[in-house]
Amino acid sequence: MEILSFEETKKILLKYKLPFCKTEIFNSKEKALLFAKQIGFPVVLKIHAQKIFHKSEVGGVKINIKNEEEFSVAWDEIEKNIKGKNVEGILVQEMVSGNEIAIGMKRDSQFGPVLMFGLGGIFIEIIKDVAFRVAPTDKEEAIKMIKETKGFELLNGARGKKKVDITNIAEMIVNLSNLSTKEEKIQSIDFNPVMVMDKQTLITDFRIII
Amino acid sequence: MKKIFNPKSIALIGASDELGTVGLGLAENLLEGKDLRKIYFVNPKRQEVLGIKCFDSVLDIKEKIDLTIIAVPSKIVKNIVFNCCEKRVGAIIVISSGFKEAGKIKEEEEIRDIARKYKIPLIGPNCLGIINPLINLNASFAPITPKKGNIAFLSQSGALLDSVVDKNKLRFSKVISYGNEADVDLTDFIEYLKTDKETKVISIYFEGIKDGRKFMRIAKEVSKIKPIVAIKSGRSDKGKEAVGTHTGTLAGDYSVYQTAMKQSGVILVDTLEELFDISLSLSSLPKCENGIGIVTNGGGLGVLAVDYCFEMGIEIPGLSKTTISSLEKNKAIEKVINKNNPLDLLGDALSDRYAVAIESLLKQDNINGLIVISTPQLMTEHEKNAKIILELRNKYPLKPIICCFLGGESVNSAIEYLELNGIPNYPDVKRAVKSINSLIKK
Repeated sequence: MEILSFEETKKILLKYKLPFCKTEIFNSKEKALLFAKQIGFPVVLKIHAQKIFHKSEVGGVKINIKNEEEFSVAWDEIEKNIKGKNVEGILVQEMVSGNEIAIGMKRDSQFGPVLMFGLGGIFIEIIKDVAFRVAPTDKEEAIKMIKETKGFELLNGARGKKKVDITNIAEMIVNLSNLSTKEEKIQSIDFNPVMVMDKQTLITDFRIII
Repeated sequence: MKKIFNPKSIALIGASDELGTVGLGLAENLLEGKDLRKIYFVNPKRQEVLGIKCFDSVLDIKEKIDLTIIAVPSKIVKNIVFNCCEKRVGAIIVISSGFKEAGKIKEEEEIRDIARKYKIPLIGPNCLGIINPLINLNASFAPITPKKGNIAFLSQSGALLDSVVDKNKLRFSKVISYGNEADVDLTDFIEYLKTDKETKVISIYFEGIKDGRKFMRIAKEVSKIKPIVAIKSGRSDKGKEAVGTHTGTLAGDYSVYQTAMKQSGVILVDTLEELFDISLSLSSLPKCENGIGIVTNGGGLGVLAVDYCFEMGIEIPGLSKTTISSLEKNKAIEKVINKNNPLDLLGDALSDRYAVAIESLLKQDNINGLIVISTPQLMTEHEKNAKIILELRNKYPLKPIICCFLGGESVNSAIEYLELNGIPNYPDVKRAVKSINSLIKK
């Protein structure tokens, strides 16, 4: 069991039209900084490694990096934290915010790929408010799946929150469904969080297990 | 498959007259139908069993054999299966255990491969057999032959099947213990039952499913035609191995099963009681739209029923002006001041009050089914109530009526009368509500 390399991950996400926030991988601080400046601060730094499943526990994540100085400090700190560990590189990501959701897939030995949807953060981790479907799933079924969760009301404008267009989310579930029925070597996937914004829905953290 | 459930000739291999053996149980059960089909016994160690001649081998029988049942020690099963195949029998049931469940995977694959080579369906091994009560066929070592009905019950556990069959309240069209599914699996049986005219409801107990995708494909198709109700054991996720993602951890075995069943149109239930309650209602009553009426002689139980209905999303329409005025015109209902749904007929309600109330509610357009609650008050006329319910059921056949007659001995004969006439009675309000819920078209 290992995490798919960043390059492979990127290829798969592009192939199945699964949009993710601007992300590149670097091993050189200078090149990384150049990219950060290009996409604009604030940015996020996080490690990508085949065998490290909890990036923040090893001190491999720094968020909300606002300028060059902060970038330099964060980069050095991450490098120190992961010294001696087998790491593919450090990802530089644009920092986006929106409604957090989580989408995932697990290949079940009996039923094949099973898709999951839930609201991000405490909804998935503590309340375990999630909905499943055995793939393949079409858009209509994906919408039903989203509406099945208790957290859906929060996307639907409860308590004065802005109503979210869930068709983008449904599309992402359908694309993940396609991926999971075709890429049989992939065992499990987490997109958590996925940021739902007005005009687009972007994956900001991905983990594909082979 | 047809030969399995309607054989004209059966050979039992391993017939015995030794007390307490599977061979004896099977022999006795098979002989129940000896006037309806040819029964042959095979056992080289015996001249005869229960007065019937024993052949040394199935190959010695000259006549054609539709079904063979094998109940011999596991180590000689392979040879016997081979003999049955050479004899070109119609189907084979292997009762013997000592295969996959005992770690003997290779041995199980061997017998499966022999049967498949000859294209002969093989059921089991490690099963109890099958029963077709409609033609008095008991090819199992279950303690009794259940009564004829229209529920097909399939069980992965033989012991559970025994206890269900032993409860003589339940009536079945087929009883199937499918064991290790070396060749014929649960899904194959479901597919067969799809077109089985005698089966109205398919009721399943399972621990696991052999091929999940195949099951979903067939169950989705069959559940559109007849309801499938199922219970699964082994829900605790003891095998929660590290899968590396949140999704993997959250999608435990049982949640995946729940999802798969829902997607296939299978009603997954929690308890055995629920399995048979719902199977009974679905097998004896018509489906209906949402909107249920409740008639009771105990206010508290009516409220309880409303609570359960609310939890399950069942609508309780108010009484229409027409219904109220027809109730008002009737002298029998004079004392009932509050004309609502649920309609509380008060503790001293006699049968005339029930008759008027039930009919008025059934007449109302948006009341599509009825729960009739009756508690044993001093004056309650249980049997008379039961007769009235039956009459009105016949008058309004499209609206299901479920009874909830509560009480002890005083209500027993009324309940028996109801059940005999295909009106389910559940001695608990929640069970009655759950059952009517299963009838509501979703």
